[in-house]
Amino acid sequence: MFWKRRPLQSKSEIWMRNLVMGFLIIYMTIFLVIPVIMVIAGSFHQWNPLNQTYNWLGIDNYIRMFSYPTFWQSMINTILFCVVVVTFRVILGLAIAYALNSKMTKHKTFFRTVFYMPTVTPLVAVAYVWMIMYNPQFGLIDKIFGFDINWLYDSKFALPSLMIMTIWKDFGYAVILFLSGLLSLPSDSYESASIDGANAWQTFRYITLPLLKPTMLFVVVTSIISYLQAYVPVLVMTKGGPGTSTYLSSYLVYDQAFKQYNFGYASAISLFILVLTAIFTVISFKFTGKNN
Amino acid sequence: MKKLFSLFLAGAMILSLGACQEKNSPGGAQQGVTDTQADKGMAVMGNTVKYDPNHLVNDGQPISIDWWVWASEDMFQGIADMYEEIHPNVTINIINNPWDGFFTKLPLSLQKGEDGPTLFNVHNSYENLIFNYMAPFDIDTQELIADYPSAASHLKDGKIYYADYGLSTGMVYYNKEIWEAEGLTTEDIPTTWDEFIEVAQKLTEFDENGKMIRAGFNYNQYFNAIALGLNYQFGSNLFDTAGTKAQVDGDGMKQAVTLLVDLYEKYHVGDKDFGTNCEQSFYQGQSAMTFVWGHFVNNLKINYPDLEYGNFEIPIPSEDTPYAYYRYNGEATPAINKNASEAQMEVAQDFMRFYFANDNVQVTLCKEGGLIPAKTILMENAELKDTPIVKTVGPHIDRYIWPGAMPSTLETNMKIAGEDILYNGKSMEKALATANDIINVDLANANFTASENLYKYYEE
Repeated sequence: MFWKRRPLQSKSEIWMRNLVMGFLIIYMTIFLVIPVIMVIAGSFHQWNPLNQTYNWLGIDNYIRMFSYPTFWQSMINTILFCVVVVTFRVILGLAIAYALNSKMTKHKTFFRTVFYMPTVTPLVAVAYVWMIMYNPQFGLIDKIFGFDINWLYDSKFALPSLMIMTIWKDFGYAVILFLSGLLSLPSDSYESASIDGANAWQTFRYITLPLLKPTMLFVVVTSIISYLQAYVPVLVMTKGGPGTSTYLSSYLVYDQAFKQYNFGYASAISLFILVLTAIFTVISFKFTGKNN
Repeated sequence: MKKLFSLFLAGAMILSLGACQEKNSPGGAQQGVTDTQADKGMAVMGNTVKYDPNHLVNDGQPISIDWWVWASEDMFQGIADMYEEIHPNVTINIINNPWDGFFTKLPLSLQKGEDGPTLFNVHNSYENLIFNYMAPFDIDTQELIADYPSAASHLKDGKIYYADYGLSTGMVYYNKEIWEAEGLTTEDIPTTWDEFIEVAQKLTEFDENGKMIRAGFNYNQYFNAIALGLNYQFGSNLFDTAGTKAQVDGDGMKQAVTLLVDLYEKYHVGDKDFGTNCEQSFYQGQSAMTFVWGHFVNNLKINYPDLEYGNFEIPIPSEDTPYAYYRYNGEATPAINKNASEAQMEVAQDFMRFYFANDNVQVTLCKEGGLIPAKTILMENAELKDTPIVKTVGPHIDRYIWPGAMPSTLETNMKIAGEDILYNGKSMEKALATANDIINVDLANANFTASENLYKYYEE
C-alpha cells in the first residue's frame, strides 16, 4: 500500500489524488463497468437498442451461440489467426531485434524507423493497400510472383492473406520491445559466456532467450489479447468471406450487433470472448509470476 | 498554485468531454425570412393528392428543419429548394450521413425527440428499426393510393407512414462499343436465357493461353441481388403462404442458382475470379454485360458519363410468360419524426403533401434514381417514358413481384450461400439449406410478413 510507504505531503496533494482518482473511477464506471453490466444483462434478452426492443429470452442466446456453426468456425479461425500471427510476430520480431542489436549492424536508427513504420500506419489504410495488392487481376503479389490466385476469395488463401497482412503490420512492435529487452540485458552474463567459450547459438539459446522471457511473455500475452479482438482487417478486406471462411469471433460480434442488430446475441458472444480472454490472462500472469 | 493547476486540469477534462457531445440545436440555424404573403397566386398542384401553395406555414415565421439523407444530397437539396421558393420562411437542412451506419445513427438520433431530424429518408429493409419513430402522413390514404397504388402495401392500421416514390429493379446493362465490335445489333438483344448465353459467349474473350481477358457477363458481388428474385421465373416464391418463413432452399431457387453457376462454370461467359466487382469491371470495359439495379444509371452518369451503354430486361427461361420476371423494390419517401415539435410537424406534413403532389419533384426523383415512377400517371411523362428502366421494364412491370420490406438477413445470408457455392466448393443444397435456416431464425425475431400474396398473379 503506497500510503504506508510514503504518506501524502499536503492537502493539495490529497485533493489532487482524489480528483484524479475520482475522474478515473467515473470514467471507468461509465465506459467499462456499466457497458459490461449491460452486456451481461443484454445477453439474456432479445435486445435492439435502436428500436428499443428488450425482451427476456433466458439462455436462448447462449443455446443459439453454441449451436451456430459460424460461431464455432469463427472460434477456430480466431485460434488459428492468434497462433500463426503471434508465432510469426515473435520469431520475426526477435530475429530482427537481435540483428539490429548486433554490433555489426549499421544505421540502426534508420532500420528501427523502417521496421516500426507499419505499426504506426493506420490499419484501415494498410488493409486497403493490401487488398489492392491481393487483387487477382492487377494486384502486385500475383504480378511479381507469377501466381494466379484470387487471394481474398479463395477459402484456402483468404485467412492466410489476412494473417500475412497482420504480421507485416504488427511485427515492428515486437522488434521495438525485444530490442529494448536486449539492450537492458546484463553484459556480465555475456562476458561469462564468452570466457566459457560459448558460441553465438549457445549464447543466444542459454543466455539471451532465458533472460528475454519476461519480454517474450509480455509480447505473447498482449498480442493474443489484441488478436482475440481483431476485426478491422476482416471488415475491410473480406467482410468475413468467402462464405464465412474468414469470420473471426470479434467480427461475428460486429456483424451480429451492427449489421443484423441482434445485440443480445452479440452480447452473448462478447461475454464468451471476455471470459476466454480473462481466463487466458490469469493463466498467463500466473505463469509469468511463477517464472519471475 | 497547485490547486489552481488542479482546477485547470479538471476544467480541461470536463471541457474535452463536453466537446465530444454532438452540437445539435433543435432545427438547426433559423435562416428563413418572415413570410407575410399567404396568397402567392400560384396554381394548385397535384392529381388526386393536391397541394395548394397559397397558404402560410408556421404563420410565416422563420423555421428550419433537418432532413437526413444517405446519398444524392444535391437532388434532395433541389427538392427542398423548390419548397423553400414557395415558403421562404422555411429552411430545410439536408444532412448527408453515409449509407454505412445510417440506420444505426438514425434511430439513436430519433430517440432525442424533436432534436432528431424532422424528416428522414427510409429504406424499407430497415423499417423495423425506425417504424416506432414515424408519424403517419396527414393525407387521405385513399387519395394517396389513387396516385401511388404501391402505397397500399404500406398501410398500417389504415395509416401510411411512408410510401414509395419509385420502383426499382434489376436490368442487364451492356457496353455498346463492345456489343457493336462483335457485330451485334439491337436485333440481337436476348429475351431468353439460351439467347443470352449465346450472346454472352460472343462477347467473352480469352487470350492465347485460354485466360479470360473479357467477361461476356459478370455478376460478381451481386450474386445475392440477382438470385433473390430469379426464383420467381421458375415458379417459386421466396416465402411460404403465411409470408413469415423463407424458402430460399426451394426448387425455384435451386434452378435459379444452377443457372447462375452454369453461366460461369458450364458456359464460361464469366468467372468468379474475373472482375471481383461487376460494377467496376463494367466501368473498365472488362465485362461486356452486367446485372445491376436501377441506381446504376446514376452511378454511370456520375462516374463514367462517356461510357456508351444500353439496357435490356432480365432474360426468362422460355418465350412463355413466366410466373414473374423478377422482383422489384420500392424507393421510399421520407418519413416524419413523430416526436417533432408542433411547428416542425406542421412544416413536415405540409412538405410531404407538396412532395407527393408536385410532379416535378417526382420526375426529378425517378429520372435521377433510374426508377419507374410510383405515381402511375407519370409513366407517360415525356421526361420519364424514355428512361432506360421505364422503356425496358415498364411494359411488364405487373409481372414483377414485391416480396415486402425484406429484412437484410436475406441478402446477407444469400451472399454467404453464393460465396460458399462459388468459392468454397459447398454443395448448392447444403449452402441454401444453411442460409434458409439462419434466415428463418432471424425472421422469427423480425416481425416480418411478406407481401408476395399481394402480387396480381399470386394464385398462378
